[in-house]
Amino acid sequence: MGLIKEPKNVDLSTKSEPWTEQELVDFRKIMQDIKAKNAKRKERSLRLRADKKQLA
Amino acid sequence: MKKKQNIGLDFIIDKLTNSIENTLTGEVFDTEIVRLTNADAKQIKKADWQFDWLKELKDNTKEVYKLTTVNNPTIIQGLVSIEDKQDHVFMHLIESAKFNKGKTKVYFGVPGNLVAYVCKVSVDKGYEGFLAFDAKSALIKHYKESLHATHFRGLRMFIEPSAAIRLISQYFKS
Repeated sequence: MGLIKEPKNVDLSTKSEPWTEQELVDFRKIMQDIKAKNAKRKERSLRLRADKKQLA
Repeated sequence: MKKKQNIGLDFIIDKLTNSIENTLTGEVFDTEIVRLTNADAKQIKKADWQFDWLKELKDNTKEVYKLTTVNNPTIIQGLVSIEDKQDHVFMHLIESAKFNKGKTKVYFGVPGNLVAYVCKVSVDKGYEGFLAFDAKSALIKHYKESLHATHFRGLRMFIEPSAAIRLISQYFKS
């Protein structure tokens, strides 16, 4: 994979404003959902790998 | 920094191989990212930057990093300011040097390089790569495509672990 080459006329600069308490609460909920989903996915893949080993 | 946590990915970053590319020649230069402290304020000329980086350096809640080429560590190619939010990293400011802006920019890849590094910081802190920031409205689509960022609401965006790992793997050799 290579570099992220932003177009010549596009500048990826950012100045963030502080997020509100409510936004942080909502964001933290999203983070938890993503973490739970990733954990489930990992568990499923480990289980599949173990099943494959048993079958071999 | 907190000890690196297992985030369920067999991905160990052990070597920096960042680089930026000269827009005219295509030549690629190895880069390094170094944290700046208030003692390094002399390295930043206020007039050269749109944002007030000296204020960022004085703020103890923030961490400021500079990107330079390995061969020329005195010329700052870009700066980023972040804050540790205990469960994610918040990116306050990111800016390329003025010669890396617009149609005549000298190097490609400065902001992507810095964002990938910040994702790595988030992983190193045990936050799985979660990175939150605001985007200019016109750039939301661009951030989605180039950084694989997720649009949260309004100008709010974030990078989730899978996108962070993808970015890190583009810039750091495992």
